[in-house]
Amino acid sequence: MIQTSITFIQGAVVEEDVQLTLLELCQACRAEEENVLAWVFEGVLEPAGESPENWRFSGESLRRAQLALRLSRDLEINPPGVALALDLLDEIAALRARLRRSGMG
Amino acid sequence: MKFKDYYEALGVPRNATQDEIRHAYRKLARKYHPDVSKAADAEERFKEVGEAYAVLKDPEKRVAYDQVGSQWKSGQDFQPPPGWDAGFEFSGPASDFGAADGAQFSDFFETLFGRAGRHAHAHRAGMHSQGQDHHARVMIDLQDAYRGAQRSLSLRMPVMDDQGHVTTQERTLEVSIPKGVRAGQHLRLVGQGGPGLGQGAAGDLYLEITFKPHALFRVDGRDVYLNLPLTPWEAALGASLSTPTPDGPVQLTIPPGSTQGRQLRLKGRGIPGNPAGDLYVVLSIALPPADSENARKAYRAMAQAFDFDPRTHLKG
Repeated sequence: MIQTSITFIQGAVVEEDVQLTLLELCQACRAEEENVLAWVFEGVLEPAGESPENWRFSGESLRRAQLALRLSRDLEINPPGVALALDLLDEIAALRARLRRSGMG
Repeated sequence: MKFKDYYEALGVPRNATQDEIRHAYRKLARKYHPDVSKAADAEERFKEVGEAYAVLKDPEKRVAYDQVGSQWKSGQDFQPPPGWDAGFEFSGPASDFGAADGAQFSDFFETLFGRAGRHAHAHRAGMHSQGQDHHARVMIDLQDAYRGAQRSLSLRMPVMDDQGHVTTQERTLEVSIPKGVRAGQHLRLVGQGGPGLGQGAAGDLYLEITFKPHALFRVDGRDVYLNLPLTPWEAALGASLSTPTPDGPVQLTIPPGSTQGRQLRLKGRGIPGNPAGDLYVVLSIALPPADSENARKAYRAMAQAFDFDPRTHLKG
């Protein structure tokens, strides 16, 4: 094992303070640009801005894009299937949260 | 090292067609995918299935595996025979090995296919390119999210030397945890990812936040839950109790006539932010044991004092 130097760092909370360009999002989750374009087309990701060069993805997109990438790679699901799976997973998460709040979870 | 029976992992016979293998993999992968399944061993099972499929879906690797594997049973001690892979030509980078997510396959897999898989990491880009973004999951205390904190985080990263040997490099980062951060959120540390090539900038490091499990508090998004046991008389008559919160104890008023399972909301005392979360105190009622003559007397006095039947609804 090699020890390297100590640094002091201030991070930004991605979900609150960060907006990502198409390139940044692709780099952050190592997705191909064509995949991200397909997910936007299917409504998995909803960037602000008119054209891909001007797109700004919310920080929350990072988690969604990572999830979409894992599902499409591991389960060999195409973009419409990924969109459906994410919608259903969102719904399950919301129902589980309601169960927990009503003390049954 | 134990021998792994990849056919057994996918539940297919050794003479299964490529289509049967793909069907079996997809079914199991959907069942055990960690993003979908809530089963405790989902991640482990998913890795096993993925490793088996990585070998069996690729006709070259499957033939090589069959060559080695026909004499072994799952779990037996295994040493590959010398020169087992002589004469096999692996056609280039195994880029779909889950390397993008840093998936770790077993020692068994590494021994058989390590060399073939490794080339996937070779840099293909030009002379100057930005370093890769890195990801790590870190555990912090719930209290750090309430107050903000500066913490030393140890990260370990597998690195490969020029000969293709993998070692672990450890580094310590002194990181400011921002007040109000929640589980599942990411901290982006600019320039702390992989080094760039040539004059390319370094990549970024993304830290996914998780909370260490706490003995008292349970977290759900912004909201925090605490179970608070009461005596029957505190629940019936009301009380003012010192109650722990992640930000220190507060004096909590229990209204008279409180029942089991009732939730008292302390607005804004969840994880700070805009809006701040709430702290929910979930009431439970603990019965004192009737383990002395005095205690039994008290229960008998209660029986006398109350005309109370909790089972009226069971009578027809």
